[in-house]
Amino acid sequence: MTLEHYLILGAVLFCIGLLGALTRRNAVVVLFSIEIMLNAANLNFIAFWRFGENPAVLDGPLFTLFTIAVAAAEVAVGLALVIAVYRHFKTVDLEQLDTLKEK
Amino acid sequence: MSLDLIKDILIATVPLLVIFPSLFAFTTWLERKTLARIQNRIGPNKVGIPCTRISLFGLGQPAADGIKMLFKEDIVPNGADRLFHLLAPILALIPAMLVLCFLPLEFPWSKLMSAKSGVQAFLLDGAVIFFFAITGLNTLAIFMAGWASRNKYSLLGGMRAIAQMVSYEIPLVLSAVVVVMSVGSLNAADIAKAQEGWNWFVLTPWGLVAFIIFFIAALAETNRSPFDLPEAESELIAGYFTEYSGFKFALFFLGEYISMFAISGLAVVLFLGGGAGPGVAAFPWIAVVWFLAKIFGLILVMIWLRGTLPRLRVDQLMAFAWKFLLPLSILNILVAGFARFIPQDSLFPKVVVWLVSFGVLYAAAWGLNKLNRADVKPREYKYAE
Amino acid sequence: MTQEITFWVLAVIAVCGALLAVWRRNLIHGVFALMIFFAALAGLFLLLLAEFIAAVQILVYIGAVGVLLIFAIMLTERVTGDDGRRVTARGWLWGLAAAVAMFVFLLLPAIQKADLSQTTQPIKPSVEALGHQLMNPYVVTLEVLALLLTAALIGAVAVAQGAQEKEDEADDS
Repeated sequence: MTLEHYLILGAVLFCIGLLGALTRRNAVVVLFSIEIMLNAANLNFIAFWRFGENPAVLDGPLFTLFTIAVAAAEVAVGLALVIAVYRHFKTVDLEQLDTLKEK
Repeated sequence: MSLDLIKDILIATVPLLVIFPSLFAFTTWLERKTLARIQNRIGPNKVGIPCTRISLFGLGQPAADGIKMLFKEDIVPNGADRLFHLLAPILALIPAMLVLCFLPLEFPWSKLMSAKSGVQAFLLDGAVIFFFAITGLNTLAIFMAGWASRNKYSLLGGMRAIAQMVSYEIPLVLSAVVVVMSVGSLNAADIAKAQEGWNWFVLTPWGLVAFIIFFIAALAETNRSPFDLPEAESELIAGYFTEYSGFKFALFFLGEYISMFAISGLAVVLFLGGGAGPGVAAFPWIAVVWFLAKIFGLILVMIWLRGTLPRLRVDQLMAFAWKFLLPLSILNILVAGFARFIPQDSLFPKVVVWLVSFGVLYAAAWGLNKLNRADVKPREYKYAE
Repeated sequence: MTQEITFWVLAVIAVCGALLAVWRRNLIHGVFALMIFFAALAGLFLLLLAEFIAAVQILVYIGAVGVLLIFAIMLTERVTGDDGRRVTARGWLWGLAAAVAMFVFLLLPAIQKADLSQTTQPIKPSVEALGHQLMNPYVVTLEVLALLLTAALIGAVAVAQGAQEKEDEADDS
């Protein structure tokens, strides 16, 4: 398979994630979508590494490893925030979290 | 798809699909008989060859159990999620079977395979880490089972099971890191080859501690007693198994036993030499026999522990993983690194290194035990005057 | 030939998993669709001969992040999604337009027929080389990553627990 196939797949997945992050009301689904976007970026990294001219340098897998670790840390902190928000506001609906809005 | 590829795939996978389920059937009989003898009774001894009166110590019992489970009525609760209720047992079986392919079993018919050296079904460079990755898929299947039953007790059992399995994955992986560090490779065949003869890893102090931690964590990963809180019959009415009957229950049962085989297989590869034993240099095919014999030895120890030890409570379970096994396994890695990379010339002969590491590990285990002991004083009995 | 079939099967599974995860009202179904997406992506990594990354993807994402998401969904409300409220936010059409615009933007080089390399060099996937790279040139990044994970662990526990202590204090006074 050529590089273009992987890049188009990565672009499709990234845009599906972006769609989810911008359209859903539930905070946890926004976190799902962020994970989908990060994974699509990882796919791009590995595809470019595989079809590049110096695969022995292993820059693709290394960057992906660091991205996976950072994404896991971010999901942990994000979910802790969602739980704290739920305890205070009793909802995770993003439409109802508008206390900073000017009346 | 070339015919060669299909032939290779069939040679690599069909024997595993035939051998391990029949070993599973034998193990259910063995477990029932062993538990019965430990509990001072006899166990199943009536079913032998069908349609005759010959009862060969009850060896026909697994066949009778299998037929019974196939014909039982399949009950799905009313409000349950039907798709997930069906998928959960299948999802519990797939990782267990998949992980069997990573064990370096040199079957005599592997020479028929045309590709590579035919030692194992998957010649992956990072076999050990794939093993742990796929074992982690079990947690998802158990949660799916607990959730799909639409039953509070199943859900609670499922959540407890995930908490237990996720907590015990860390000491499991950290104790395997000791072996990977000593060998320098994640390839299961390389690790088995590095223990040829009698240099098994279990015969070194850090290897022994790592093996004990691995075995305890493996008991917890496969939900075996004394860690069988999620599925015990007296707790939460069998936990996440409650709403399953008939063939789906048989699939869960099969998945649990096959994952017991798989994790024992990994323990044999990492610590017990994996096929090394007397007579291998003369007859290479005897390595498979030794491998399976060692797996069975570990399974017998698991059955023995089930018959003798009481169940752990859920907070005792979690405290044991996080406060005892985790610090001990990290310290074990440090000690193993010290022993592996220190230059062993005349200044530090091997015996001193071994004694020092053994002393450090024993002191650490004793110290952690003292720290974790609940402060309850001996009971005071008040008698009526 | 087998590579092509595998790629298309995995690509279709990944796209379907991502769409289901983003669309389903029932959050548990969404989480399981997300797990299928992660598994398909691990298969794609294996196809691209990045074995270690595929193993780490399954271990971290399906084994850990998935379980974390399940626990978080259990602890917040509206799990089964039986209510009649709308699933999408108020300005969802703008969101759709933005996603489509981003898609077109990402595919601009392909549309303009940029010249991308087509050849693959033979590589021998080896975890030892990755280990050497992590220890020699990239050791600082590795240590910073360890610090980041420790900070995230302590931070997550502190944030999720802080509300509990305030509730206890409010009850006492």
